[in-house]
Amino acid sequence: MSTFTNLLKKVFRDRKKSASQVPFTVLFNVFQKILEYNNQVLELMAEMGTKLGGTYIFDQQYIRSTCHHIADTVYKLIYNLNTMAPKRYLNLYDAFGAINSDIEEELAGRPVIPQAEYTMPYSVITDDFTDVVGAKNANLAEIKNLLGLKAPEGFAITIRAFKAFMEYNRLQTKMDALNAAWQKGDPSKNQLAEEIRRLILEGTVPQLLEKEIYSSLDRLYQGVNPEEIMLALRSSAFGEDREHTFAGQYLSLLNEPRGNVLQAYKSILASLFSDSVMEYRRQKGLMDYQESMAVACQLMVDAKVSGVLYTLDPRAPDRDVMLINATWGLGAPVVAGEVRADLYTLDREEPYPLKSLDVVRKPEQLAPKKGGGTDMRMVHQDLQTKTCLTDEQMKQIAEAGLMIERYFKRPQDIEWAIDHEDNLVVLQARSLNIKDKVSKLVCDISSVLDDFPVIFRNKGSIAQEGISTGKVFLVKTEEDLDRFPSDAVLVAAYTSPRLGKVIKKARAIITDVGSPTGHMATIAREFRVPTIVNTGIATQLLRPGQMITVDARENVVYEGAVKALCYYEFAEETFETTYEYRLLQRVLKKIVPLNLLNPSEKNFTPSGCKTLHDITRYVHEKAVSELIELEYAKIGDTANSGRKLKFDIPLDLILIDIGGGISGPASVSEVKPHDVISVPMKAFLKGLSVPGAWDTEPMSVDFGSFMSSLTRTFSSSMATPKYVGQNLAVLSKEYVNINLRLGYHFNMVVAYISENLNDNYAYFRFLGGVTDISRRSRRAKLMAEILAKHNFRVDIRGDLVTARIKKLELTLMEKKMKILGLLVAFTRQLDVKMNHEQEIERLKNVFQDLKNDHIK
Amino acid sequence: MGDEQKTKILILDDEPIVLKRLKPALEKSGYDVEAFSRSLEALNRIMEQNFDIVITDLKMEGLDGMEFLTRVKDRSPVTEVIVITGFATMETAKESFKKGVFDFLAKPFKFGEIKEVLAKAESKIKGKR
Repeated sequence: MSTFTNLLKKVFRDRKKSASQVPFTVLFNVFQKILEYNNQVLELMAEMGTKLGGTYIFDQQYIRSTCHHIADTVYKLIYNLNTMAPKRYLNLYDAFGAINSDIEEELAGRPVIPQAEYTMPYSVITDDFTDVVGAKNANLAEIKNLLGLKAPEGFAITIRAFKAFMEYNRLQTKMDALNAAWQKGDPSKNQLAEEIRRLILEGTVPQLLEKEIYSSLDRLYQGVNPEEIMLALRSSAFGEDREHTFAGQYLSLLNEPRGNVLQAYKSILASLFSDSVMEYRRQKGLMDYQESMAVACQLMVDAKVSGVLYTLDPRAPDRDVMLINATWGLGAPVVAGEVRADLYTLDREEPYPLKSLDVVRKPEQLAPKKGGGTDMRMVHQDLQTKTCLTDEQMKQIAEAGLMIERYFKRPQDIEWAIDHEDNLVVLQARSLNIKDKVSKLVCDISSVLDDFPVIFRNKGSIAQEGISTGKVFLVKTEEDLDRFPSDAVLVAAYTSPRLGKVIKKARAIITDVGSPTGHMATIAREFRVPTIVNTGIATQLLRPGQMITVDARENVVYEGAVKALCYYEFAEETFETTYEYRLLQRVLKKIVPLNLLNPSEKNFTPSGCKTLHDITRYVHEKAVSELIELEYAKIGDTANSGRKLKFDIPLDLILIDIGGGISGPASVSEVKPHDVISVPMKAFLKGLSVPGAWDTEPMSVDFGSFMSSLTRTFSSSMATPKYVGQNLAVLSKEYVNINLRLGYHFNMVVAYISENLNDNYAYFRFLGGVTDISRRSRRAKLMAEILAKHNFRVDIRGDLVTARIKKLELTLMEKKMKILGLLVAFTRQLDVKMNHEQEIERLKNVFQDLKNDHIK
Repeated sequence: MGDEQKTKILILDDEPIVLKRLKPALEKSGYDVEAFSRSLEALNRIMEQNFDIVITDLKMEGLDGMEFLTRVKDRSPVTEVIVITGFATMETAKESFKKGVFDFLAKPFKFGEIKEVLAKAESKIKGKR
């Protein structure tokens, strides 16, 4: 822990006593500041994120100044949370310090490389390290780490290792001399290449590099007998997969034993200087010395079936099909085009029906040899003319391929294998270069679009740009999320971080409400999923299973699949390779990804915060709960400044106005309901006073006496003494904190409602008593079901019901407050009546009728 | 827009990324574009060639953007100047407009935004001809 943190702790320790007596108005001001900064951070993050979309021109100056602005604001968030709750969140400063120094390093042009010495395990590789580990390694690591697909375990031997090898053996000097001699016409071209390869193959791997390769191998084995495990070593040259030009020209070695690893490594380096590669470079005017090679070192996947998937036919993209080549055994001969393979032509739409199948006789297959290497073997007679893939495997390959395509925004060329446990393993993925073909297809977009009906246009806001087609899948419940299919368009009423778990499978996202600066939107941007939020009408207009095209550039949703629009995406110039794009992307990785998804999960702690977004979310969540906790503790202290609400309903309620919550002079000791101008309180009182809610069914006891006896002489067994006092509401124009005891129940409602939907939230908490546990749990269940039906996020722990909702626009929030008011009135005494399980259904209907009649 | 009639644009920004992305996009829209990242080189070019429109950053090493646009206007008052800057304040905006700047765009901006401004500047120039 830093000395800075210790210093702060001391300062707060000294202040502790006075801090507990901070007047509510002060506390509330701090809380409001937190809301404001929270919003600023989300907006800045969203703004930075949109710059990756490609429609903006930005420079390094912009990246620097925005990073500083965000960091500064997050720092203020932490400071203010520690003001609200002295000493409790000092660890956040440490989390902040670590993240911010990484960002500063990036801005200073020093990419933060966790352990990019000579080797890097796949688990730490991101596409930021493309220049260090080569595109093949980087793509595979992204597919494995981010998309969660299965890929071989392994590590990269980096470009740095290559440079160290070249230097140690003084190869550059030797190559220069050879080159000079060749220029004078001394050796032939092929002799030159052969001589360079010999120098590499006979070179010595520096000791440090050797040590690191072997210790990386040891970590890879993880307790398995090293003798049994074989390796695959593949080239991952600088720029190899990006340009797609050198594809297949470098060496890959399969089924190598541990003892061969250094020799295999050198063989792959030597393939940089094969006759054909050197000839090719010469034709393209590339210099040999610019070449450098990283190597992928992976656990060998012993494949039952292997092959190649093209997510789009590179020769005829307009066919709009996927092509799968498959054969028995290892895939190398298919990749090299040495053997014939089955050809599956699949539709690109889920469930990817087979359009045609060309089965060939496969008399031989490549198989690993015992002890190392591979050889061709006879395929069993029965299998030679059989297809290699099941329908399920076909679908799995297609699904994985399209997920990779969506992420890289380009059609893909993917090598895959099915291992002997029937797992699909992605061995390699690179973008197909089909730009020339595609640009012909998209010449006249506007005339194409005329053929497709517009479902809606310019509704809501674009959270992530992009264009996609797919079938509508409506998400209403948690179970729907579990059933969410790959390649569907996610349509939901609300944005929620909970949607995060399916976002990477979604082709696009459309919601009725929500904000482009919200948490979910930033996740959508991380996975580059086209997203439109706050449309207001998506769930009404879109039918499950309907095929639509989401154009989250122009903000239009079309009926049907407008393929030409999607090709347009493929054809567009990428600026992903510019330094500024990569810098922005790298700093955003320290800022935007959200790891703290669920407050009830273990990582919801300061040390769990890995990004500035994490800290922001943590502070927001804690600020709300601190305010709730603090207000519990303070009831009774503040009543003297309050005024009584004169209400038709016998509710002994004191109001404390902390700013713009009540109209009229403060000297008047009684407040009438129409004097209440606090937005959330006004709505809550409307719900509370819905005719019939209090007296739907007569009480067995006279209500007035029931109330007075119970609220005044509160049983000490029902609650701790600090809860005893008046019924209380602290309110301002936008805020209310209501504490009610009705009967034996304790209700708490905290809400903030303003024009800015990002700040808006309502929190409801109910704790009951009196009757036996089965009746109480029925009541809890009833409340939970009613709340859930109205889109609250509900949590029941025994008798305690909590519900929250946030980030809706003002009128919707008001409606939710009315519903809470109605619910409080409706359930104040219900447990007494809840003798049967069936009562839940009946009472739910009664509630619904009341709501329909009185809350529009 | 005929070839010999192409509107001539000079862009000056000390961050190459701006030039790298703006130049091809504007060329695609039919403009004749020259791009510079050093103000002195841009100034030399201005002295030997008239441009219809000059797009310049304000804060740069060496000759500062405000100074540069003053020199441009001195040399050729009909040249329309569009300022692009990441340090947009009311003061700098006011000062630019006082010096006869056509428009002022805060960085980052969208391609569509600068194209819109260029189209307006172009029609103003054509109106004068």
